[in-house]
Amino acid sequence: MSGGKIKKQSLFFLLTIFILFVPWGISVNADSMNQKQYIYDYAELLSETEVEELESLSSELSEQMNTAFMVITVNGMDGKDIIPYVQDFYDEHAPGYDQPHGNTSILTIDLQTRDVYLAGFKKAEQYLDDARLDMVRNKITPDLSQGNYFQAFSVYIHTAHDYMGFKPGVNPENILFKWWFQLAVSLIVAGIIVALMAYRSGGRVTVSAQNYMNNNQSGILNKYDNYIRQTVTKQKKPSSNTKSGGGGGGGISRGGHSHSGSRGKF
Amino acid sequence: MILHYKCPSCGSDMSFDSESGELACDSCGRQDKIESYPEDLITTTFSEDEAKEYHCENCGAVLITEAETTATSCSFCGAGVVIADRLSGHLAPAKVIPFTISKEEATKAFQKWCRKGLLTPKGFMNADRIKSITGMYVPFWLFDLNSKVQVNAVCTKVRMYTRGEYIYTETKYYDAFRDINLDYVKIPVDASEKMNDGLMDKLEPYPYDQLKNFKTPYLAGYIAEKYNYTDEELLPRAKDKISGYIDSYIRSTLTGYHSVNYKEKTIDTRNVNSYYVLLPVWMVIYDYNQSEHTFAMNGQTGKVVGKPPISSGKVSMWFGGIAAGSLLALKCASYFLGGGFW
Repeated sequence: MSGGKIKKQSLFFLLTIFILFVPWGISVNADSMNQKQYIYDYAELLSETEVEELESLSSELSEQMNTAFMVITVNGMDGKDIIPYVQDFYDEHAPGYDQPHGNTSILTIDLQTRDVYLAGFKKAEQYLDDARLDMVRNKITPDLSQGNYFQAFSVYIHTAHDYMGFKPGVNPENILFKWWFQLAVSLIVAGIIVALMAYRSGGRVTVSAQNYMNNNQSGILNKYDNYIRQTVTKQKKPSSNTKSGGGGGGGISRGGHSHSGSRGKF
Repeated sequence: MILHYKCPSCGSDMSFDSESGELACDSCGRQDKIESYPEDLITTTFSEDEAKEYHCENCGAVLITEAETTATSCSFCGAGVVIADRLSGHLAPAKVIPFTISKEEATKAFQKWCRKGLLTPKGFMNADRIKSITGMYVPFWLFDLNSKVQVNAVCTKVRMYTRGEYIYTETKYYDAFRDINLDYVKIPVDASEKMNDGLMDKLEPYPYDQLKNFKTPYLAGYIAEKYNYTDEELLPRAKDKISGYIDSYIRSTLTGYHSVNYKEKTIDTRNVNSYYVLLPVWMVIYDYNQSEHTFAMNGQTGKVVGKPPISSGKVSMWFGGIAAGSLLALKCASYFLGGGFW
């Protein structure tokens, strides 16, 4: 008898879900005029197909964020440190999705020194600050250590791309931003409210102690609060400096381009 | 109605002494004026041919009606096998709260209540299949209880402060004692075996200022159920009903502390007074989808209780709507916090 009604209800339900999940944010952008190559595999850690795959992944995600996600692998830097190496690379090659010396994020690894360095220039300096680059580095270091370079690089490209979707200053790994958390919370909230509605549909107890208490005769006859003793415990203030392991942060290249950064070993 | 006066000194029945115009006790010789005789000690019983009692052969219910009213079917199970019996000598109710809601008003109020159900099926909301609606006086015991409470507890107050490089936590311990007297009056406990206790508890509160001395004419047109339990049997349930009130009262006297750890808690609850009363309830039996649903309505306030059927379609609609709404709200929150919408 209510078959038609249920159909209508579920249609309404599906429509709501559809509206919620349809992606609005499709941006239209032409291929970068400046950025043609994203993967510089000098150390030859990847096969040809892997390079191709990463190139296409990076060019697609780079387009969405208007920022080039680059990977450089080297085997020895002729005595140069990894940070100046990356700075000079940026100065010389002038990468950038939007323009030469433009928005760029670079992951660099050196197999000889086993250094890993992440840098963000221009827009990426702001959206991939030191803290976020630290988080990306911590995420991929295990893969790098085990030699899963292709895996580590694609995780880097995906994560850096995702993190740039968050306003600067907020923690992108905040559980509030996870879709599964949001979905779970809304399902739980709905479940609790509907269960409460069903429970209360049969009427509920509306009397309280005030309905039956005789206030004239009720009360405290006698009371005391005697202080006995006290204990004091002390605890060292947690130090606010929590930076550890690698770090290094950003800097300014010789060409005058400032950048964020995160440095570590793998 | 036959009134019995119990002697306040020795407990045996007092009789009226026409010579002195006072109540006199044959056993101990005590004399009391009728006007000053304490009302609590009067018990009333039904006189002969004043009221009738019916036993249902089918479900075992025992009903009381006025002598002129004849019951032909049981108002609980609807079976037509009721056996009449005389009720003389039985304990009569001390007080009654009469019905103020008529049958028509009760029907209307019930229909209005049905329409308010957010989860009830549409077919139920019409409320056009009321099978029967019966005005019934349900037997209750009203208890006046007195509780003497002594509590001893160790309580703490915690303060945190920083000096230099350290955070200090200072905990002060107190020995707290409370001696409390609590009076609860007219705690209703239903004395009917047939009525669901939970359902009856939800019908409260009744306006106790409307309590009238019981007279048989109040029963005219209604059916009363006979009590199945004595006040002694129901005292534990009355104590149980106020135990939560007592606990929250104790807690309210120990404020200002961060933690309260009870070392000793003695609660001595005594029955000061209990009386047998009849409270008005409309019983509504409703046919829906080949099954009967029973509802009860407070005959004074019109409050309806009872489990209505629940429509799965409406449940899923509400569930989907609330889930989608809160998801949207969370997405917006995440957007404003800088997390992007997707």
